[in-house]
Amino acid sequence: MPGDCLEQFTAYRFPLMRALALLLLLAAAAMVRAHPEVEAALSRVNALIAALPEEPQFYLDRGDIYAQHQAWVPAEANYLRAAELSRGASSLRLDRARAAVEVATGRPADARAKLDRVLKNNPRDAEALLLRARALAALNANEPALADINLALTLVATPTPELYLERAALIAAPADAIRSLDEGIARVGPAPALQLRALALEESSGRIEAALLRLDRITGASERKESWLKRRGDLLARVGLKREAREAYVAALAAIAALPSWLRESPDLAHLATELNRLNAPSP
Amino acid sequence: MKLRPLFLALTLFAPAIFAATTIVRGPYLQSATPTSMVVRWRTDMTEASVVSYGTDRAQLAMNSKAEGITTEHVVLLSGLTPATQYHYTVGSVAVVPSATAKAAGEDAPGRASTYSFTTPPVAGAVKPTRVWVLGDPGTKNKVQADVRDVYYKFTGSRPTDLWLLLGDNAYPDGTDSDYQKAIFEMYPATLRTSPVWSTLGNHDGKSANSPTQSGVYYDIFTLPTQGQAGGVTSGTEAYYSFDYANIHFICLDSHDSNRAIDGAMMQWLKADLEETRRDWIVAFFHHPTYTKGTHDSDKDSDSAGRMNDMRAIFLPALEQGGVDLVLTGHSHVYERSFLIDGHYGKSDTFNAAAHVRQKGNGRPDGDGAYRKPRTRAPHIGEVSVVTGSAGHASSKPVPLNHPIFFLSLNEAGSSVIDVNGLRLDFTFLNDKGEKRDWFSIVKE
Repeated sequence: MPGDCLEQFTAYRFPLMRALALLLLLAAAAMVRAHPEVEAALSRVNALIAALPEEPQFYLDRGDIYAQHQAWVPAEANYLRAAELSRGASSLRLDRARAAVEVATGRPADARAKLDRVLKNNPRDAEALLLRARALAALNANEPALADINLALTLVATPTPELYLERAALIAAPADAIRSLDEGIARVGPAPALQLRALALEESSGRIEAALLRLDRITGASERKESWLKRRGDLLARVGLKREAREAYVAALAAIAALPSWLRESPDLAHLATELNRLNAPSP
Repeated sequence: MKLRPLFLALTLFAPAIFAATTIVRGPYLQSATPTSMVVRWRTDMTEASVVSYGTDRAQLAMNSKAEGITTEHVVLLSGLTPATQYHYTVGSVAVVPSATAKAAGEDAPGRASTYSFTTPPVAGAVKPTRVWVLGDPGTKNKVQADVRDVYYKFTGSRPTDLWLLLGDNAYPDGTDSDYQKAIFEMYPATLRTSPVWSTLGNHDGKSANSPTQSGVYYDIFTLPTQGQAGGVTSGTEAYYSFDYANIHFICLDSHDSNRAIDGAMMQWLKADLEETRRDWIVAFFHHPTYTKGTHDSDKDSDSAGRMNDMRAIFLPALEQGGVDLVLTGHSHVYERSFLIDGHYGKSDTFNAAAHVRQKGNGRPDGDGAYRKPRTRAPHIGEVSVVTGSAGHASSKPVPLNHPIFFLSLNEAGSSVIDVNGLRLDFTFLNDKGEKRDWFSIVKE
């Protein structure tokens, strides 16, 4: 860390704090040496701090630079300094930033308290809702976590599949989790992660018809159908529908045969065809 | 004299009523498919969004419009014919160009100019394809402009079929004004004629958020989330794939999406690799799997472990899926490997005997092109290229000593990929106009 930060860190009144600040300084310095781009970003904010050393906003900015690089220790040190300079008038941005560090470093209870404060002032802060959902989930408070993530999903214009996976993980009942995933599929499209999670839940909870229907939909939309048809055959075989399973294996072999030779002859497909022929062979 | 107040009102308000809006950004082309194209532009005042287009430059017979009035115009042209040149103009109303419309090649910025693009061929078709690759371009400085001009001179009248931005497109913070100068004012001609595809870099990530797909980067780019340009539905613009001719391009988000081995991005990648039937697979993302340039892929703390993740978690999946070329930036240098496979550790674990599939420089006029069988076999080798110097090279000495690379250069420049059937030619041009590296991969 450049030298102009030293002055700020050594301004701590207590020897212990000074020692801690020095340690943080060394850790941050090592990081900066490794990352020239961090150095450039820091030099800009350091200049601002040098000009206005009592301005908490700049420490918050500097904390954000470290947080973006997941350097949690110097990030938190800067956030603490910003909080100290704010003299109790902690901003929502600062609370949220500190909570993000606490969630990332396994202190969900601390994070929750700050996020409660943020959300009390702005109940529609989607980022804070998602953070609190993660903190609550880490505290095994799945129901309130679910409520937070549900609200966040209504506020985020374009949620990612990952958010729906997070939500499904909070739901104990397979039927509800599957419904939740299907909501995600309806909104973001049939992303493989959502389809595969739903399929796994359907298969593990004995919803075979639903799983087969889902596999049919996936197969219909796929340019390469052979693996999905094999999966269909495997599922049918597991539930004792051997004739139907063989039909699926035959269809998979036909899908392979329809591919251009350069693909058909690839090792993976040759192996799959061998496996399908073995599964399709009449029982002795 | 009842007309007098009307005359007065017209005199007072006519300038406002008839003031023409100005296009302050674009037009630029997004999410190209063989049958569709997204045209985007920005105006200084809100107005309707209309694209007039057609195959005859003097007669733009078709119109496509978006609902409402806005300054951010996004218009989807659908029902297009593959591999066909279209001419277009943008504005608030359908425009009929005059009979003396400018000839092709006279495109100039300004209102109601007529531009052109060519739709991609049907997926899988063989077509000579030129791709321009820019890593970390967005410095807005002379080096960026020099790199651009060298490419323009190199390609001459040969069209750029598509171009890739490898992230850190607009320094320092990926803000809208950064983008305006670093991208929209830097490459206006290419933006109007060639679709651009981007991946998120760490500097773009300062003003964008992948989990919520919000912020400047996600506002600017329209990228395929539903597999509409080829490939599997990703459900997010953060990572996606698309086809162009017989090439399958895979864009990963190495900066801000979950990089866990069981995460959504990895599950999508595996499904996408399994699904594709194209001859070539080109993957691109921001953080390099190997580098000893302005970043060090051996340091766990560098870039918060993202380079480690891409090498140890994502590279095995890409190689299992038969990737041919891996393009990255982040490190402001040019580093190019041999034909390699299976190196997922730090540089001190690199073993040429185990990890180099084909030695030599890969040059047809040197040791010979790298050769791969035409099959989708796992682990038969790819070339890894760090080309992150389209905006600047390192101003300080850098090690450039990763043993996996055949060549490492601390020089500004950009890369060009030419694919024709089962042959891929790669070129690196520096900012002085010198062809500093080249290699070929041939499938047989």
